[in-house]
Amino acid sequence: MTSNLAAITGIGSVSPYGPLAGLIPQCALEPEPITAWPTAGLRRAFLVKPFRPASVVPGLKTRRLDRLSAWALVASSLAIQDSGIDLSHVDRSRVAVVFGTGFGCAELTEAFFQSAAANGWSGTDPSPFPEGLANAPSSHVALWHGLRGPNITVGSAGFAGESAMIQATSLLRHGQADLAIVLAGDTLTRAVYEWYEAAGLLSPSCYKAEPLTEGGGFVPSEGVVALVLEPAGRRDVRAYAHFTSGRWAVDRKAVETIRQMLGSVVPSLTICAGNGAPCATSSTAVLAREISGPNTEIVPAQAVAAGLADAGAFLHLILALSSRPRSGLALLLGTSGDNGFAALLLELP
Amino acid sequence: MTFGRLPPVTDPRITDLRINDARKTIVVTGVGVVSPYGIGLDCLQAGMLSGKCCLTPTKDVYPGFEGSTAQVCGLSLPATGADPRYSRSDRLAMVAARDAVTNLDCESVAFRESGAFMASTVAGLSEIDPGIAEDPAAWYRRGGGLARAASYPPAHVADAVGDDLGIRGPRCAVSAACASSAMAIALAANILLDGAAPMMLAGGSDALCPFTLSGFSSLQALDPEPCRPFDQNRNGLNLGEGAAVLVLETLEAAVARNASVLAVLRGWAMTNDAFHTTAPQQQGNGLADCMRLAMEMAKVSGDQIGYVNAHGTGTPLNDVAEANAYESVFRGRTSPIPVSSTKSYFGHCLGAAGALEAAITIVAVRCGALLPTLRLTDPIVSPSVNWLRGDVRREMLPLAMSVSAGFGGSNTALIFGDGGFGNDRS
Repeated sequence: MTSNLAAITGIGSVSPYGPLAGLIPQCALEPEPITAWPTAGLRRAFLVKPFRPASVVPGLKTRRLDRLSAWALVASSLAIQDSGIDLSHVDRSRVAVVFGTGFGCAELTEAFFQSAAANGWSGTDPSPFPEGLANAPSSHVALWHGLRGPNITVGSAGFAGESAMIQATSLLRHGQADLAIVLAGDTLTRAVYEWYEAAGLLSPSCYKAEPLTEGGGFVPSEGVVALVLEPAGRRDVRAYAHFTSGRWAVDRKAVETIRQMLGSVVPSLTICAGNGAPCATSSTAVLAREISGPNTEIVPAQAVAAGLADAGAFLHLILALSSRPRSGLALLLGTSGDNGFAALLLELP
Repeated sequence: MTFGRLPPVTDPRITDLRINDARKTIVVTGVGVVSPYGIGLDCLQAGMLSGKCCLTPTKDVYPGFEGSTAQVCGLSLPATGADPRYSRSDRLAMVAARDAVTNLDCESVAFRESGAFMASTVAGLSEIDPGIAEDPAAWYRRGGGLARAASYPPAHVADAVGDDLGIRGPRCAVSAACASSAMAIALAANILLDGAAPMMLAGGSDALCPFTLSGFSSLQALDPEPCRPFDQNRNGLNLGEGAAVLVLETLEAAVARNASVLAVLRGWAMTNDAFHTTAPQQQGNGLADCMRLAMEMAKVSGDQIGYVNAHGTGTPLNDVAEANAYESVFRGRTSPIPVSSTKSYFGHCLGAAGALEAAITIVAVRCGALLPTLRLTDPIVSPSVNWLRGDVRREMLPLAMSVSAGFGGSNTALIFGDGGFGNDRS
């Protein structure tokens, strides 16, 4: 038996598929050549195409913001719109924002270092400094929507999104918020991309204008996904999924923890939400087979979400929900790529 | 002065604890600290009670920078600390975490399955220099750059602590600017209530580095002299460094293993101003709401709070907003609320500040020692506040509150009590 703790009633995303409310229409997506910085030959990634945020969310002012904060504002606005919630009728001191990110505002951190390189430490540009803090995007979401509840930014190697979902549900469960906007995302910058490359983590597909190949590394990606999370059953509205429970842990303890969470429940679906290489031999896929039942459908990781560093879980989830109608219990399984695992148990209507 | 020998939780005074459900009561059973006073809570406590200020000219450590800072010196590193993958923030955190678990059975299942929620605003930024800006790939190839940059994500600090101690529960970085580590403590308490881990290590760590010195300098937020929180003539903040880690568990778990309880976390709350990305809302409404929510959770009134360890940065905007918040929350008390800012002793430790100040608040509760704000000569006028200054005040405290706020409008309040486990006023 499972009990639903919270319902996902709204989805908004800014991803390589563009800015969207709700699920993502399925279409083939190939990596794009990187042109934002000089590269030694062809380098590809899944990139968010530039767009004008105010054309998606009328009145939104993002000129002074970095892309991560701007995307968080757009994604959260689309998710709230998708949920049908009118915030003017909500006690906004009871609305939480929880944001999961691997690198935070890396663009502005790099801009601050550039300013120090150009002018010395005594001549740095003050504007990127406070905006470069990892919690700046969640603060902007609170400011734009007037949300005065808990405002939390979390990072967990490999599963920042799952961690954000667990923390947000905990706030609802303990009466510390009535509604939560839960986000996960990262931007791709030159320093991040070249770190992946120097560490030997990139897929051969990053270097060739050919269809994606499986394994041997990953193709970096970027974007932000926002979910509206509210106590299950509070409103008679469509729910994309109900959150039942979530756990995360390290090494073999993770397997025990996930088994304890599942108890006698056998998920009908296991969605591999690992970062890194989306292949059958990835640590996520191996664990998925280990803990799933014989009749469980295992949805492999999607390359566009697997490249989204620590924050790909929500994109994995909505891609799986978008691909075809599904129902039953679903396990969203994330991994840090070495020895950490996170699992969210969801009930799909 | 030390905590001395702590009474076990089977002490008859447990009956004084007006807490009914041991599963829903979060207690502190370990405190680890690395501060400019040295390693350990005793060191911090002795240094602060002696009135020693650790702020020294910044240029002595970082040539070219003006003002005052407080640095951790003579740090004894864990064996893995020399590894270039670990930043100074990682190492400070690892030392504090080891200090926090000194009295724990590190082979116990509860310990092995415990989690680590750690906050840091700097994390691995201290290991990166502006050379990365020109050509990141070339920078990674030089002098271990690739390994040093791997410590950049804030989550690295929690992983460093978890790996060093061999704990396998949930790990998480918490980022809420200067409220980060207080929030890490609050979120860890939530995780314990959820039953998702048997024990949690929660706190924060931040190293001094040119990145933050330059950033706060560019914002013109640094006082060139040692800071004067809540003074009419205050002129900004000073930066410090350090780390603090609390061991949290339910009272039920602590009783089961016959642990010594240092304090009870009676209430916690988090809010956001939703006002401005860097400036606090001037009436302090968000912070006042946060304190009220924490008091509501603890089921106590303003009269029952004996002391507030303030955020008190010394910046013109923060201190006025905070004073207004205290005025709003504690107006109507039978006597003004005693408040001090201990950032006047060793500066603002950013992501570690909330946890360090939680540790100081626990000292206040356990020892009945209310530390004054240093250099406070002409306090902000606030009739409902007793700005502590001059000598250390001795007073039995059933409850004390630690308040934190940060860029982005984040606020956190933590209420600690001795829970009837006995004060140590030796």
